[in-house]
Amino acid sequence: MKTSNHKDIDRIFNVNIRGNGTRPMLFAHGYGCDQNMFRFIYPYFEKDYKIILFDYIGSGKSDLSEYSNEKYNSLDNYADDIITICNHLKLKDIIFVGHSVSAMIGVLAFNKSPQLFSKMIMIGPSPRYINDIDYNGGFEESSIMELLETLDSNYLGWSKSMAPVIMGNSDKPHLGEELSNSFCSTDPEIAKNFARVTFLSDNRQDIKKVTVPCLILQCKNDVIAPVEVGEYTSKSIKNSTLKILNATGHCPNLSAPEETAEAIEQFL
Amino acid sequence: MRLKSALDLYDNAPCGSVSFQNDGLILDINKTLAVWLGYSKEELIRKRTLPSLFKIGGQIFFETHFFPLIKMQGFIKEVYFDIVKKDKSTLHSLINVREIPHSDNQNISYQATILDISDRWHYENELLKAKQLAEAESKAKADFLATISHEIRTPLNSILGIGNLLHQTPLNKNQKEYARLLLHSSEHLLSLVNNLLDLSKLEAKKIVLEHVPFNIVELTNILQQTFSVRANEKGIKLSVEIQENTPHSLIGDPVKLNQILTNLIGNAIKFTKKGMVSLSISVEKNTKSEVCLHFKVKDTGIGIPKEKLEFIFQEFSQASYDVSVEFGGTGLGLTISKKLLEMHQSNLNVTSELNVGSEFSFNIWYTKSQTSIPKKETIGTDNLKNHNFNSLKVLVVDDNPANIFIAAQYLDLWKITYKTANSGLKAINLIKKYDFDIILLDLQMPKMNGYEVAKKIRKLKLNLQPVIIAFSASAKSEVSSELLEAGINDHLPKPFQPIQLFELLRDCQNPIKKKNSLYSKSIKKPKNNTITSIKTNVESFNLERFQKMANNKPEYLKKFRLSTLDALISYQKDFKKAIKTKDINALSDLIHKSTMSLYYIQADPLSDLLNECRRILTEEPENKSLIIKNKKKIKDEFTIIINGLKKE
Repeated sequence: MKTSNHKDIDRIFNVNIRGNGTRPMLFAHGYGCDQNMFRFIYPYFEKDYKIILFDYIGSGKSDLSEYSNEKYNSLDNYADDIITICNHLKLKDIIFVGHSVSAMIGVLAFNKSPQLFSKMIMIGPSPRYINDIDYNGGFEESSIMELLETLDSNYLGWSKSMAPVIMGNSDKPHLGEELSNSFCSTDPEIAKNFARVTFLSDNRQDIKKVTVPCLILQCKNDVIAPVEVGEYTSKSIKNSTLKILNATGHCPNLSAPEETAEAIEQFL
Repeated sequence: MRLKSALDLYDNAPCGSVSFQNDGLILDINKTLAVWLGYSKEELIRKRTLPSLFKIGGQIFFETHFFPLIKMQGFIKEVYFDIVKKDKSTLHSLINVREIPHSDNQNISYQATILDISDRWHYENELLKAKQLAEAESKAKADFLATISHEIRTPLNSILGIGNLLHQTPLNKNQKEYARLLLHSSEHLLSLVNNLLDLSKLEAKKIVLEHVPFNIVELTNILQQTFSVRANEKGIKLSVEIQENTPHSLIGDPVKLNQILTNLIGNAIKFTKKGMVSLSISVEKNTKSEVCLHFKVKDTGIGIPKEKLEFIFQEFSQASYDVSVEFGGTGLGLTISKKLLEMHQSNLNVTSELNVGSEFSFNIWYTKSQTSIPKKETIGTDNLKNHNFNSLKVLVVDDNPANIFIAAQYLDLWKITYKTANSGLKAINLIKKYDFDIILLDLQMPKMNGYEVAKKIRKLKLNLQPVIIAFSASAKSEVSSELLEAGINDHLPKPFQPIQLFELLRDCQNPIKKKNSLYSKSIKKPKNNTITSIKTNVESFNLERFQKMANNKPEYLKKFRLSTLDALISYQKDFKKAIKTKDINALSDLIHKSTMSLYYIQADPLSDLLNECRRILTEEPENKSLIIKNKKKIKDEFTIIINGLKKE
């Protein structure tokens, strides 16, 4: 019933601002988790930049009541949210860091409001996950359908066990208690819808319109975004640099934070 | 010796064990797991990664959820994965993982313990199937209930209509009483059936909240008028108090509020034998743009025993069986009210004392309207007769002679010229011969139903396309894109009260007032509360529908295209004018009259933007940047479509 006003934006997107610099670096997390995805990365930039972290509606500690399937039926509305946050915080000259699907959300946001962005860093981007004529996205359409079916039948089991246990974590004292039990655990309905929107998206036309300098960070052996896809993305964006990391998997920001941060620093 | 037995335990443990490194590569696997999977150890160790053994869904899940959480937390307990065996069959498993710390950060490895839960999985699956079956059966019952209720409404329409007509004929005292009882009972039956339908719709989440301007004083005045007769009959005082500082002009869902208050006041009167029933409205919280109103319905009735309080919100339950025998009713009113309040993110509070009385209260947030909404003139029965419809020409289409008869009686009463048709085919033939301003069209007809008739009418080449009003036995607040698609302008639920038909006809006569009609309220997509959700990847318009209608005749297509072009150019002008003066009424009229054109060329983005523009002007008139943004988008859409239509 209540419509959100400006004061609410920090709260509904769980916006967190850190760092000593003035130039804004906006970190946008991908499908599955929340802003904690960047917790090993952003400390490298706190000294020189203003770090902005947030959770998409439906993820992490965002306000779930703002979510509706109708509203978030395409990546477009996530892009609108990015713009809303930027305008709310009066950000300019933004360095955008998008992991996974957020790279494409960033592209859409750029196409809507190019004046906001100065540079983009895409970690494991994919403009289209499903193979097409003359395009290898890494997945057959049937695999994606299988994923959606798996999510349908299975998600409850997953999401329940994915809530992290809150306890004195002696192995990882740096985590402390701030790691909420929301990380990686989303409402099954939201997770399904976000998966659908993510894996059925096709942004191959949108990436061509990006004009700011881009860094594409690509891991070896990434099931979700294979090297070929990284190369395709790089070719499509005129002003881009492709950097293949030694790290493997889809989350170099977690598995190889140092290497990832170095690559970003060099680019900046 | 000890080492050997430890190794033996590891290899032959009753659970699987596998260790893997950062990139998922399997470093070691015990015999148990290798046997379960049908691989030899050599086929897996340093050759395969753990995720590569999962199904594709599991692989994505591993990358997006599982791995990040291990990195965050260092361990994970009991996560479910399907593992694909060598023979392609599935091992249903639970996986526990812990990180094995290493001095060198690069060589972290992980130890996973795997339990075979195939048996449990099968049990769970059976339970799940049983649950789905039970839910499906429950849904089938609810559907049946909805269908039956629906069917009952049609004959009820005749009973109620004839009862109303009977009341207006000269009757002796006895006959008058019989007619009153007939009306009273059929109204009662109607409210029961409506409640059943409402509940099934609420359960199916088919009801959405509207955001329209309304006047709260007008709403309560009508409530008081409606209930004062019944309260008087019982000798009960009925009072309505609105706190002085309450804003009168609000934006919200007046229909739902009316339904809740009707239920609560109706109950209060029903369960009160002497004393009073009061409705009071006060301001709970007040902000610049919104207000939270507190509603309280209090009675001096029989009260509710403490131990029954928690049950009164359940379907079909009243405080006791005797109560329902003595007072009647289905006991659905409170359940419905509670669910309607839940849609408002609110709840219903109750306090009660046996034989002293009950008090029901709730809060609702409303947006304050920036413009004041005048109270509509309420139409007395006298006005019904005196209004001059002069030249209005109406066609009534219904296969049921009783329904035609009833509608005809009212049209006679109001001195409206009309013709009747008992089938779609006859209707279309009449429309080809004569001009009509309004078609009253029954939706459920054999052979050609109302939707088909409307579509056929819309394809006719007429001097003036009539306003089509559908009669439907489906309930009031249904959102129906089907109506819009068929080109139906408005709809009236069956059975209808004469005054509803009257208002609708009067509104059609004065198009200015159309913005208040059901049309603009009910046929609207559910909308978001906050941020615009306009898709940019949708094309601005296309001519597919015209092509279909033109039936391969290029000259028709050209005609359609050019007439739409003219219309769009004039709409563009109207829009510029309306936005310049921020005239919401003009904008509403524009939305209304452009609906069909925009529908035919499938200009959904423009249509959405116009509605969004109206919402912004109504709800956030101060938000200049949003207005400018929206205005620009609309201008762009107009340009794209007009240029596109010129070129085609």
